[in-house]
Amino acid sequence: MDSSITLGGSPGADLTKLSDREKQELQQFVVNESQKARIQQSIHSLTDICFRKCITAKMSSGKLDRTEEPCMQNCVDRFMDANMTVLRQLEQMRTQM
Amino acid sequence: MSDPKQAIMDQVRQQAALSNARALIEKVNEHCFERCVPKPGSSLSSAETTCYTHCMEKYMASWNTVSRQYLGHVQQGVQGQAAFGAF
Repeated sequence: MDSSITLGGSPGADLTKLSDREKQELQQFVVNESQKARIQQSIHSLTDICFRKCITAKMSSGKLDRTEEPCMQNCVDRFMDANMTVLRQLEQMRTQM
Repeated sequence: MSDPKQAIMDQVRQQAALSNARALIEKVNEHCFERCVPKPGSSLSSAETTCYTHCMEKYMASWNTVSRQYLGHVQQGVQGQAAFGAF
């Protein structure tokens, strides 16, 4: 999936004419936008996974009913718990090598 | 004379928004086609179209719920967050 941020050469945008401060601001901006893009990507992946797990009934309405909403929330929380478990286990395996 | 820094920032934001919209549409189509059109006929029936609308709304509601929940964790600074980005 396309999550990279590319700085295209828009006409009239001469990067060499920017002051050092402006270059620094731009750099910080790109760092922030990259992080935002990564977060968006994670949200897309999580929604994909949790939708498949939690929305199993027929599409009778466009809203999340009172079982689907908590399921989605739990799904996110449990996924992050599981991720922590993986990292901890990996660390353990690494130190045992 | 346009501000080149602002132009670049706008372009980056625009690309990010486009990328986000593209990803969302792709996922909605993937899930909702699977759920609502099990056996493709010669046209989309009204039942299938209604199902698609519900499915799309449900998916966006799910996206919002996941987003809220996930950002809650991010703001709390959950450990290993950097590693999660590699997902």
